[in-house]
Amino acid sequence: MLPNINVVSLVSVGRHPQSGRARRAEQDGRAVELGLNLAGNTLTVVHAGNAQEPVLRQYAGMGLPSLTVLAQESDCDALPALVSFLKDKHIDVVLTGVRAESGESSGMLPYLLAEQLGWPLVPRVAEILNIKEGEAEVLLALPRGQRRAVIVKLPFIASVDNAAQEARQTAFGPGLRADFKVLTLERVVDEAASQWQINIAKPRPKRLKVVKAKTAADRMKAATAKPVGGGGKIMKDETAAEKAQAIFDLLLEEKVVR
Amino acid sequence: MMLDWLPPTLIGVLLVLAGIGAVRRMNLWRAGQAEKVDILAGLLAMPKRYLHDLHHVVDRDKYISRTHVATGGGFVLAMVLVVFVHLFGIDSKILAWALLAALVMMFCGALFVYKRRLNPPSRLSKGPWMRLPKSLLTFSITFFVLTLPAAGVLPEGFGGWLLTLVLSALILMSLSEMLFGMTWGGPMKHAFAGALHLALHRRPERFGGGRSTGLKPAVLGETSHGVAKPTDFKWNQLLGFDACVQCGRCEAVCPAFAAGQPLNPKKLIQDMVVGFAGGTDENYAGSPYPNVEVGNAKGAPNQIITDGLIHPDTLWSCTTCRACVEECPMMIEHVDAIVDMRRFLTLEKGDTPNKGAQVLENIIATDNPNGYSPASRTHWTADQNLNLMKDVKQADVLFWVSDGAFDMRSQRILRAFVKLMKAANVDVAILGDEELDSGDVARRLGDDATFQSLAKRNLATLSKYQFNKIVTTDPHAFHCLKNEYGDFGSDALQNVEVLHHTTFLNQLVKDGRLQLDTFKGGKVTYHDPCYLGRYNGEYEAPRELLASLGIEVAEMERSGYRSRCCGGGGGAPITDIPSERRIADMRMEDVISTGADMVAVGCQQCTAMLEGVVEPRPVVKDIAEILAGQLIDRQSIEETH
Amino acid sequence: MSHFSSKDSSLDNLLRRDPRTEWIARNRLHPLHSSVVSAGQGEVRGSSGLLRKNPHVIGFIGPNGIKRIDRANLSSAGLNSKKRTGEAKETQRPLHIVENPDAYIMVVADMIGGRLTSHDKDILGLAHQLVAEGNQNTAVVLVCFGESKETQFDLAGVDRLIHLSADEFEGFAPEVRVAALIQIETQYRPEHWLFPDSVHGGSDLASRLAAKLGERPAAQAWQVTASTTTSRGASGSQDIRRETPRILMLMEECANAIEDTRHQVLPLDLSEEFIVPSGSCLLDKGQIEVDSNAVPLAEAEFILSAGNGIHNWDQFHSAAAALGATEGASRVAVDDGFMPRSRQVGASGTWVTARVYLAVGISGAIQHMQGIGQCDKVVAINTDAGCDMVKRADLAVIADSEAILEELTKLAQQYSLSKSQEEKSDAA
Ligand SMILES: Cc1cc2nc3c(=O)[nH]c(=O)nc-3n(C[C@H](O)[C@H](O)[C@H](O)COP(=O)(O)OP(=O)(O)OC[C@H]3O[C@@H](n4cnc5c(N)ncnc54)[C@H](O)[C@@H]3O)c2cc1C
Ligand code: SF4
Ligand code: SF4
Ligand code: SF4
Repeated sequence: MLPNINVVSLVSVGRHPQSGRARRAEQDGRAVELGLNLAGNTLTVVHAGNAQEPVLRQYAGMGLPSLTVLAQESDCDALPALVSFLKDKHIDVVLTGVRAESGESSGMLPYLLAEQLGWPLVPRVAEILNIKEGEAEVLLALPRGQRRAVIVKLPFIASVDNAAQEARQTAFGPGLRADFKVLTLERVVDEAASQWQINIAKPRPKRLKVVKAKTAADRMKAATAKPVGGGGKIMKDETAAEKAQAIFDLLLEEKVVR
Repeated sequence: MMLDWLPPTLIGVLLVLAGIGAVRRMNLWRAGQAEKVDILAGLLAMPKRYLHDLHHVVDRDKYISRTHVATGGGFVLAMVLVVFVHLFGIDSKILAWALLAALVMMFCGALFVYKRRLNPPSRLSKGPWMRLPKSLLTFSITFFVLTLPAAGVLPEGFGGWLLTLVLSALILMSLSEMLFGMTWGGPMKHAFAGALHLALHRRPERFGGGRSTGLKPAVLGETSHGVAKPTDFKWNQLLGFDACVQCGRCEAVCPAFAAGQPLNPKKLIQDMVVGFAGGTDENYAGSPYPNVEVGNAKGAPNQIITDGLIHPDTLWSCTTCRACVEECPMMIEHVDAIVDMRRFLTLEKGDTPNKGAQVLENIIATDNPNGYSPASRTHWTADQNLNLMKDVKQADVLFWVSDGAFDMRSQRILRAFVKLMKAANVDVAILGDEELDSGDVARRLGDDATFQSLAKRNLATLSKYQFNKIVTTDPHAFHCLKNEYGDFGSDALQNVEVLHHTTFLNQLVKDGRLQLDTFKGGKVTYHDPCYLGRYNGEYEAPRELLASLGIEVAEMERSGYRSRCCGGGGGAPITDIPSERRIADMRMEDVISTGADMVAVGCQQCTAMLEGVVEPRPVVKDIAEILAGQLIDRQSIEETH
Repeated sequence: MSHFSSKDSSLDNLLRRDPRTEWIARNRLHPLHSSVVSAGQGEVRGSSGLLRKNPHVIGFIGPNGIKRIDRANLSSAGLNSKKRTGEAKETQRPLHIVENPDAYIMVVADMIGGRLTSHDKDILGLAHQLVAEGNQNTAVVLVCFGESKETQFDLAGVDRLIHLSADEFEGFAPEVRVAALIQIETQYRPEHWLFPDSVHGGSDLASRLAAKLGERPAAQAWQVTASTTTSRGASGSQDIRRETPRILMLMEECANAIEDTRHQVLPLDLSEEFIVPSGSCLLDKGQIEVDSNAVPLAEAEFILSAGNGIHNWDQFHSAAAALGATEGASRVAVDDGFMPRSRQVGASGTWVTARVYLAVGISGAIQHMQGIGQCDKVVAINTDAGCDMVKRADLAVIADSEAILEELTKLAQQYSLSKSQEEKSDAA
């Protein structure tokens, strides 16, 4: 925990991938976790939306004494309210998820906030190593578990990646008792979004692997090869070297050996 | 020099001190939470409870039961008579002779206690308990000699002041143990607290052969949930802890203890006593929690238990198998206490270890522990042609499928059971996607909020439909439905028979509705699931079913009410506290030692646990699967005729 | 695979002159002239056959720093490419020509490792779909940052190329990159900005640009026409249809990559000198080398997992190191003390999402399988052909684990050796 750092974590209502039910959002939960590790009890957690939303209790159950709700309807744009809440508050760090689990899920919110507040943004943060002398050293999550170290000037906005520490368990009791501070700031209806047609996602057709044979030999190979899918290939009687070669070829094909 | 006044004075003083101690002890218990108990009825029922229920348990060990009757009975009788003969000085030969007889009885008992203590098994506590047989012997001998003059065997004043002085010293020694120690925390405390505990037990239904195994619902919405500090227990739970005789029977049967997990139910109860009485566990003289040193635990009535008294891992090691409760002669409720403390850890601290947090989150978001899509609950029935309650509204039997619906292995059990019901033409329907997790895992993990929410929603669904029986292949769901859903003020299950599938199948077989071939596989043994056996008393139906196939069950040493848990209960596989060995491996060794080729079970969770043991090992099959394999297809018989 | 074996053949590496092509290249009136000249952009060779890094097609900067137009076209890649033999087998694709474009569609590529990804190529394909629907005289412009090793921009559909290769664009430099994009925006006013919606920087850059320009982008777009766009929302559970916005973050396989045409790959310049914006708030301290075995299991892409069928643990660890795999284990291997608990895969361990899960001596108990449900490809090495892991595997090898691991380690070592040699020769 770092002293005298003002940290705000923004949270939204998540969506369980299997049941579609509202839940604590995966990345937002991590943003709160990271915030708690940085600022402990002084962390401010903000939600723009409905103060009656039960999922907020799940965030509060992480041990938040209170939670700030910028009250607005579901068709409102969260941005103006958040901007007016955040500016002029001497905040050092704002943590968000990378992409919301409900709504448009465009991931634009942190960028728009950064633009409007004029703060830098670091995307996909895995860890904040330290904050001192007006700067923070953060680790960004790259694919395959790799990391990049970046130094960013305070105040800044960070979107928190799935590689960040998992959100702690939410406890029923503290969640139930947490105090909700409900503020009513400006509400702006998201007009553009109201023009959209929203449907249940259609399954995307899987791209067929078209064999573009360039030579006759290739065409022959493609025609005689065992079709992929429908059970795997089993190698029994080949030599150890051949078997190993087959595995190694697969590793190369999948580009996991480089 | 006349010292005749000395013995009565000593007796009197010690009685007064014992009285003071009793009041102090009671005040310790009263620091607990209020709980309504019918005190008078309890006190009146106490002798019967002692003689019948407690003795029934003690009697499993004939040696100690006879010893206890002689010693305990002798002592109680002798003590009463001592008061009359020696304190009040009533001069009656009859009383004196009666006292002598009581003392002889006690002496004989004490000799056996002494003998048992010569080479005590590891489950017994040492320390002051090693002194007890000596105190008992001293008491009986001392008062025997002291009473001889009153009985007219010896002349008054025999032995002079020297003997009186010696006797007085011995009185002081033995009565300190027997009276003072009884209320000030010595080994004899068990008699005092035990008697009251029997009278004021939190589950009086258990007496007289009854069964009370359902957990009590947590009150939700207060400033704290579950038991954080010793004083958060109900007062009669505290009293119950004090009744422990440290006999270690619970320790001897505890699967977690045997597996080397940091749990020992006896030590746990002793730590509870340390907690509400204040102090440390340095005087504890029994087996420790495996791999945890004794002497470092500190407790006080208002100190958080998991801060220094008990490590949370101890609480999370328990499989809630109830073997300890079943064995405890003092009828102490270990499982209640453990779950009470888990409730605090989960509901207040959000500290359920390992996969606990994730499982609870899944249950909340998807109504099943593995986070599967709720819409996939009925996928397994695609080829089963089962009625949905939603469509038929009523049926004779409602088949409670449980979360086995999501698991490929368990589905084999479900299909086998459906096949049997179809063969018997049972009018059956399922709830389909309307069914939710029973809440068993959430409740045992301490999340009573989620359990109650599931229970209420399930009850609301059930109340929409008409059925006479509800049958399930999952003993855990069975237990919840039968013993725990009743607390939520719904009449959905009123006049409904809740049955385990083995019970139901047994009825079908007895009614001749299933044609079964004799089983010709190898040797078969049967594993009693705790939630079917100890929790619900069903030991016979599975055995009768196996017998109906011509199987003679090769019983394991630990079977029936003494069955050893497979390790799958209480969320233990989820919290997965490190151990020296796996409980399931030990159970499989029990199976193997019978020479069986197959172990029959009646629970999908037991199946999963036992099949998790590395091969080669005997085959694991649910009884429904075995029966389905022996089913003589009526149609095909009719066709051939 | 074929890529690997062709590298082996030393014949292909020989430089061969082709007098006929050279002649066509010199003769600008020859009907095949333009196709010969623009074949194999990006890799430009000097007359000696030495590789010159030069993205521009019509010329190169000579040693004295002056740009030269190579009228004789002797440097053209089509002439002296070492890949010549391979390409000669292919039929030449027709060239798609855009002269004096009226409009532009900008595609900002991820270019992982300096090469177009398949995701990038899909998006170039989509860009051409958009062109086909609207004004045909629109150029698809590829914007790429940093060093490029790509040799086939022409085949991927790049009409024009803006290659920003200055040092300040290297590494993590979103602020500088976005400033450059804004300059491009002011100069060319493109119809659309297309980005891969990816974790490799595509969505980050797109979002920054959109925020700066005040445009509302569509993220996770997967069906795009000139008029309407369908994108995923609510964590992939919804389809949102709307008018196609100017800035799009596109999912993989949003369109087919270009397959039938070649493109000009003409350089496009920024009219003004690009000035690095001052007062940057972000300082890149570089990528941190994370050892493959230190990667958290849940994030690992390639897991070598050990079970009860491993008897030589030293060999297992060295195989994992040689293959660059993250180590996993079954519960038995953990219970027996050979692997730490944090490496356990399965119901009571970690649920992994690896692209390749290589299970060595693991029988495939249900509880273990639960943990690998989301793995793409499962490979099993097991002595028991009947076990569940073999049933689940995409490729199963029935053999003793020790023998196969030994061979695999050898293969991995050979491979990395040949790769490092190749890199050396590349650098030469
Ligand atoms: C509640 C519960 C939770 C569990 N959670 C997990 C979990 O999270 N993760 C997990 O892994 N397990 C878990 N298990 C245990 C699981 O059921 C299995 O016991 C375990 O996965 C088996 O591990 P294994 O495959 O390594 O061993 P085995 O089952 O013994 O399999 C060893 C395999 O190696 C093969 N083999 C042997 N020698 C060789 C050789 N020389 N070369 C090649 N192959 C060889 C054998 O043919 C066999 O298939 C859990 C069990 C329970 C009950
Ligand atoms: S709890 Fe019961 S079984 Fe265990 S030691 Fe005490 S009295 Fe004996
Ligand atoms: S319920 Fe079972 S596991 Fe728990 S303490 Fe008692 S005997 Fe041990
Ligand atoms: S899984 Fe079986 S043996 Fe284990 S607790 Fe449940 S019923 Fe008991």
